Amino acid sequence: MTRRWRVALLAGVGWLVALFFLAPYVEMLLTALKPEHELTRSPGGYVPSHWQWSNFTDVWTAAPLWTNLRVSLTVAGGSTLLTLLCALPAAYYSARNRFRGRGAFLVLVLVTQMFAPTALVVGVYREAVMLNLTDTLEALILVNAAFNLPFCVWILHGSFSSVPRELEEAAFLDGTGRIGALLRVTLPVSMPGVVTAVVYTFIAAWNEYIVALTVSVSDNRKPLTVAIPSFVTQYQEHWQYLFATSLIAIIPVVVLFALVERYLIGGLTAGSVK
Amino acid sequence: MRKQFAGATAVGLSLALALTGCGKGSSSGDDSSGKTIRFVAAIYDDNTKGYWDGLIKDFEAKNPGYKVNLEMVDWEQMDRKVKTYVQTKQAPDVLNYNAFSDFARDGLIYKAEEVVSPQVLSDFTPTFVKQAQYQGAQYGLPFISSARLLFYNKDLFAKAKIDKPPASWAEVQADAQKIKAAGATGYGLPLGPEEAQAEFYSWAMNNGGGWVDSSGKWAINQKANVETLTFLRDLTKSGVTQPNPETTDRAKVFNQFAQGRIGMAIGGPFTKAGFIDPANKNLNFGVAPLPSKNGSSHDTLGVMDVLAAFKRDGGKNKEAVRRFLDFFYSAENSSKFLKLEGFLPVTKSAGDALSADPYMKQFVDALPTSQFAPTGNPAWSAVAGAVKQDLGAAVANGDPKKVLDGIQQTAEKAG
Amino acid sequence: MDGVSIAGRGAPASRPARLLARLRVLLAPLPWLAPALLLIGAVVLWPVVEMVRTSFLAISSSGATLGGAGTRNYKDLFDEPDLGAVLLRTLLWVVGIVVITTVLSLALGQLLNARFPGRRVVRWAVIVPWAASVLMTALIWRWMLDNDSGVVNRLLLDLGLVDEPVNWLAHPGQAMAWMMAVAVFVTLPFTSFVILAGLQSIPPEVYEAARVDGASGWTTYLRITLPLLRPALLIGTIINCINVFNNFPIIWSMTQGGPQHATDTSTTFTYKIAFFDQHVGESAAMAVVNFALVLFMVALYLRAARRSGATS
Repeated sequence: MTRRWRVALLAGVGWLVALFFLAPYVEMLLTALKPEHELTRSPGGYVPSHWQWSNFTDVWTAAPLWTNLRVSLTVAGGSTLLTLLCALPAAYYSARNRFRGRGAFLVLVLVTQMFAPTALVVGVYREAVMLNLTDTLEALILVNAAFNLPFCVWILHGSFSSVPRELEEAAFLDGTGRIGALLRVTLPVSMPGVVTAVVYTFIAAWNEYIVALTVSVSDNRKPLTVAIPSFVTQYQEHWQYLFATSLIAIIPVVVLFALVERYLIGGLTAGSVK
Repeated sequence: MRKQFAGATAVGLSLALALTGCGKGSSSGDDSSGKTIRFVAAIYDDNTKGYWDGLIKDFEAKNPGYKVNLEMVDWEQMDRKVKTYVQTKQAPDVLNYNAFSDFARDGLIYKAEEVVSPQVLSDFTPTFVKQAQYQGAQYGLPFISSARLLFYNKDLFAKAKIDKPPASWAEVQADAQKIKAAGATGYGLPLGPEEAQAEFYSWAMNNGGGWVDSSGKWAINQKANVETLTFLRDLTKSGVTQPNPETTDRAKVFNQFAQGRIGMAIGGPFTKAGFIDPANKNLNFGVAPLPSKNGSSHDTLGVMDVLAAFKRDGGKNKEAVRRFLDFFYSAENSSKFLKLEGFLPVTKSAGDALSADPYMKQFVDALPTSQFAPTGNPAWSAVAGAVKQDLGAAVANGDPKKVLDGIQQTAEKAG
Repeated sequence: MDGVSIAGRGAPASRPARLLARLRVLLAPLPWLAPALLLIGAVVLWPVVEMVRTSFLAISSSGATLGGAGTRNYKDLFDEPDLGAVLLRTLLWVVGIVVITTVLSLALGQLLNARFPGRRVVRWAVIVPWAASVLMTALIWRWMLDNDSGVVNRLLLDLGLVDEPVNWLAHPGQAMAWMMAVAVFVTLPFTSFVILAGLQSIPPEVYEAARVDGASGWTTYLRITLPLLRPALLIGTIINCINVFNNFPIIWSMTQGGPQHATDTSTTFTYKIAFFDQHVGESAAMAVVNFALVLFMVALYLRAARRSGATS
């Protein structure tokens, strides 16, 4: 097989794979563009017989989507930031130093990673009540940050461990100080790990549903994930709006992803380095 | 060096605290005066929130110093929310829900007479008052009601040469066969977990069956019920229903009905505005009484949602709750809600408002013969849950008697 | 301060000083670890304790706490006739999805690592199912699999592969297969990117050496690539196990675990005990059992990680 054929074959397979992964979302788009009366027609049509572009503008008035979008961004951004702030020092210290309880700390991180908020919702809510944080974005930020923190510590720990100590020592001896060495040398080298932590936390917080559902009360503190299912109720169904909004919600994450994809690939293996 | 460590941590911590400490939402209802109340309302359709927003604004203008914080919750998410609230002692002051008796049993809610004026109390239609009682005392405040009737497609009936809607089960079976021969589904049978208990009861009550016997004890595996379920199973097995009733919900049936692909199905007042009109405004359909085994007398399934008022430390929210509820139950405000949402009245004064609409009138007229699920029994929720999960199996591959025996067992265990 | 005052009372001067020094060493990590510990302890561990406590309480159907229940909730749970089947199905669900995903991801990672025109766009496309919320992806699949208006049936009919629409999600076997396929679909992106990252961390010289030795493509892959991918595979597997195990939206939105309990896994079963059977305490007990299973998986992982550490 010549080289050119090989590349063509790879490209062909690659594009088929891309199509496969996009197909359900293309169907989502086509459904979102159908008029409501066409949605449940049987047999279903492949494409809308009438392209109802207004579905995409109507959703903005059918629900306070701007507000929901802003809430989602705040929560996802805030929890990502908080996670990083807490995970960076812990991961760095445990990667660089041997101390009593280090093993216990790392096991704790590993174990708590396994817990999903889904099963713990009542406890989480009780906590929000105690802290007087019900119906606040702060509660959502705290919960999302906490549940994603273990994974981030894990990834960053591995990432920092793989940075040669000598590199940092050199900068340290140059007089930049410990923190300076961390910021100027170690952090840039571990960027893939940091980006991975950011993307993982952001996506998880962006898509979190159960806690937001329980903690959020007012419409202007509900993230997109809680607002979207309200389009389909026992008494009426607006699937076209539900899918249109879902597509709108995907866009910010895909953009974020496209921006940092290059870093991400280096970071995803960091956690496995012992 | 040590200072730097501490400094870094301090920055991190204070940022974290700043993030968490800043700005507290203003929605919590735990004021000390008891003049601010929390109201959790269910979303019925697009109009529900607008209605409550308007009503609350009016209420607050007419009752200076009082405040109502509204939370809108999907039905789909309501159970989870309510349980979490009760479990963490954060129940709202007023809840719009479909059950009340276990709250009453656990001493969580006020009696009706404590939170509405005597005029409002005497305005409720007796049928609904009976449904809102727990151990002889009224706790629930009837909110909206609904009734179920048989929807049939007139064009399909004409095509299959059927001249009138079926009155007896034998006619249902025969008509469904004819419709099937004409190329459509005879009867749409939703026995999926969404609302299997309503569909089943609609048939069982018209065979003299039901959930409890005359003394109020669970009688789910009684002979009439087994007979009913066997009938539904035979309908399914003879292929005149849509495939797989055990996984079908009502939306699916009415989406198909709207397209003229199903001949008959049981629906409620909201079925037209919620499912038929959006899909096919021109559907030529009629509404008839629920068919009965013998074809002579016809009972109707009645459904009622309630408002429940939760107690708060020493009853200090009572005054605010009473003002709010009395405000809602004024004839003008409550009938406005019914009209907007397409539900049936629960009060005498709102009764006539809907009869002007010929479509709605059929349901209003059916109300007096309506039978209700035993919502006054706190175990009902668990029984309904078991019915939702298990009943459909009987028409798929299970044995009707065995399935009902299983549910009976669950019911006896639940109380 | 304390040290001084103790010393003032005439205790040997060196002991408090040593104690203080030891304390200092012991507490040195605290400024660095405290924020993480605080957040994990308060927000994650506390609700876990709460849940375990709930599993020993009698909770009424309204949600009100009636008092202690001893081990009754657990007894009720172990009396559930469906429990065994549900746990077995959960095992099938987790193992099946993770194994299939891993195998497919190995190929996909290789593809994404190869050079061809449009590779970036293909990578972005693969990301989309990760970026979309699982709930929405599950809903669109349910939509596509609908027996009346779904596009899957339409396509199969047009291609002449079936004679009449198949009600995919109504039959437990088919429904299970489809739901697992959807779970694989949403798990693939993350996993193949982990493997892609692993592939890129293998130094080119290693392949160079293999080529000099005259090893064939397959031999190189089995002898060199796969062993070097081991760390990436480990991390992918453990994260996937957790996410797949905890996955609620796929099953809930596609079949609700029905008919009856025929497609339930432990997470949907937990939910149904609380909200269909109205038995909150038993549901908490089921959640505790879930956690025990998760801890078991962690233990397995730790063993695997240690072994992998020893061999590399």
